[in-house]
Amino acid sequence: MGIRLYMEPKLKSPIMIIGWPGIGNIGLIAVDTLRATLESEEFGEIEGCDFFYPKKVIIRSGLLEDLEFPTSKFYYKRLEKNDLVFFIGKEQPRKQTSSGYAGGEEAYRMANLVLDVAEEFGCRRIYTSGAAVALIHHTVRSKVWAVPNTEGLIKEIRGYPNTILMSHVEGRGGQGFISGLNGLLLGVARKRGFEGICLMGEIPIYLQGLPISYPKASKSVLEVFAEVLGIVIDFSRFDELFQDVEDKIEDFYRHIPLEVKDYLEKLKEISYPRQPELEPMTEEKRKRLWEEISDFLKKGDTKDEDNL
Amino acid sequence: MKTTFKFIAQPGLEDPSLIVGWNRDAGRIAPKVIDFLNGKLGSQKFCEIEPDRFFPLGGVSVEDDCIQFPESSFFYVQTRDLVIFKSDQPAYDHYAFLNSVLDVPERYGKVKELYTISGMVSHVAHTTPRRIFTVFNQPEFQESLQSYNLEGLTWEGPPAISSFLLWIARRRGIHGLSLWLEVPFYLAASEDLWAIRFTLSFLDQRFNLNLDLQELDIKIREQNEKIDRLRDENAEVNRCIGLLESGFSLKEEVQLKLAQEIHEHLKRDM
Repeated sequence: MGIRLYMEPKLKSPIMIIGWPGIGNIGLIAVDTLRATLESEEFGEIEGCDFFYPKKVIIRSGLLEDLEFPTSKFYYKRLEKNDLVFFIGKEQPRKQTSSGYAGGEEAYRMANLVLDVAEEFGCRRIYTSGAAVALIHHTVRSKVWAVPNTEGLIKEIRGYPNTILMSHVEGRGGQGFISGLNGLLLGVARKRGFEGICLMGEIPIYLQGLPISYPKASKSVLEVFAEVLGIVIDFSRFDELFQDVEDKIEDFYRHIPLEVKDYLEKLKEISYPRQPELEPMTEEKRKRLWEEISDFLKKGDTKDEDNL
Repeated sequence: MKTTFKFIAQPGLEDPSLIVGWNRDAGRIAPKVIDFLNGKLGSQKFCEIEPDRFFPLGGVSVEDDCIQFPESSFFYVQTRDLVIFKSDQPAYDHYAFLNSVLDVPERYGKVKELYTISGMVSHVAHTTPRRIFTVFNQPEFQESLQSYNLEGLTWEGPPAISSFLLWIARRRGIHGLSLWLEVPFYLAASEDLWAIRFTLSFLDQRFNLNLDLQELDIKIREQNEKIDRLRDENAEVNRCIGLLESGFSLKEEVQLKLAQEIHEHLKRDM
């Protein structure tokens, strides 16, 4: 019960990179793309039955053949500099939270199991990845918000491309909250003495509630990983794969009422670490904007809403 | 966190069989079958699973003017080496909960056989012969019950909690069988007495329980007569049931209306 390893590869100073689903599936897509691009090999899993309700049962002619659970798998890849261990969880344990994110005893147990594997294979550095809901326009390149689990990593993060710290985000003063396992795991990693960094790709505030991915942010996260790992990623396949999502986002945007869109257009001008042309958006304004967008979505006056 | 059990008695069982039923069930089959068995066999409650780990306890729900509270109770029938488990379906930690369901009878040896009881909503009329579908967790167990002429279910999709239990039982080397009784959709919210009787009749045969099912036969006749009266009074109800009897299906809104009419009629006459 718990961890099942199919093999025990000998790895050289491995780094662990972790992906779970979340807003826009930004982290999951980034990490899974990296795993697939590097042709990483599966070597173990965390058994799902203890964490999840099964997704599917297969019964044939009165015989229960199998139950399928959301998968939580480990992969490895040997590289020149550091070897890599990937962990891809297709679902977060959700007990006792209404947010849809992991929480409570199960999430803590899952985080510790992942770190048990990290420890066993000698990983001392962990990366998680997720979404940063931001006041940006979807035509603007997503930045990556990076949050380390120890002060000693801040200097290193400053050298990452297209990356900002929480203190660079207007009105945050270095404060924030990372929901679910992407955050919790880094906390547990800190407790257990691992270095950890969460890389969060920016998603426009008005797209956060849509049931579609946001590949632009995943791409920004991938660019940071490429720099950190000293590898080159060919994005042509990635761009091709997610072109239809970009089209859907454009289509969604076209159907936003003009009065809301006027405001959203101003987001094109926002840049970090300063916002010279716009007054800072207060929490109240942010809330109002989101309510307007939510109302718009609820009205369902977009023809293609069902396709989103 | 460990499961907390509350033992009220320590029965002297040996390799018991286990019958499991969930409180919310189509046609109220599982709770009614278990209540009937407990009443007729003189079962004694001997253990409960404490709800705090598995159910939301931020308050209590009220149904039919009455407070509801999660129940997970084990009963035993000493003379038959039988354990009966009646429970609400847990909201959290399903895997731990279902293992706990097997842990209790396993205190008294190996669980010989596991049976789960469930209703399955169907588009059949109450007057047509109903089917009992089965799901076994091991082929040899399926083979051993061939003489019962049970129809095997084929299904790929979201699993019911009974299938999850069956799967866990297989991992623990326990033979398991889920019984799925066809319930006409318009009896799903009421009691499907025919399906209840059918299940009891199977268990009676399987465990040599010598159950007297006459009172159920009377109730079935009464229920059928009540529905017949409604058919006489209400041409639309009669037309709908007639269509189902002829093998036709009904539109969703018509189904809902029929289900409501029959449920209210049966409730009124109770």
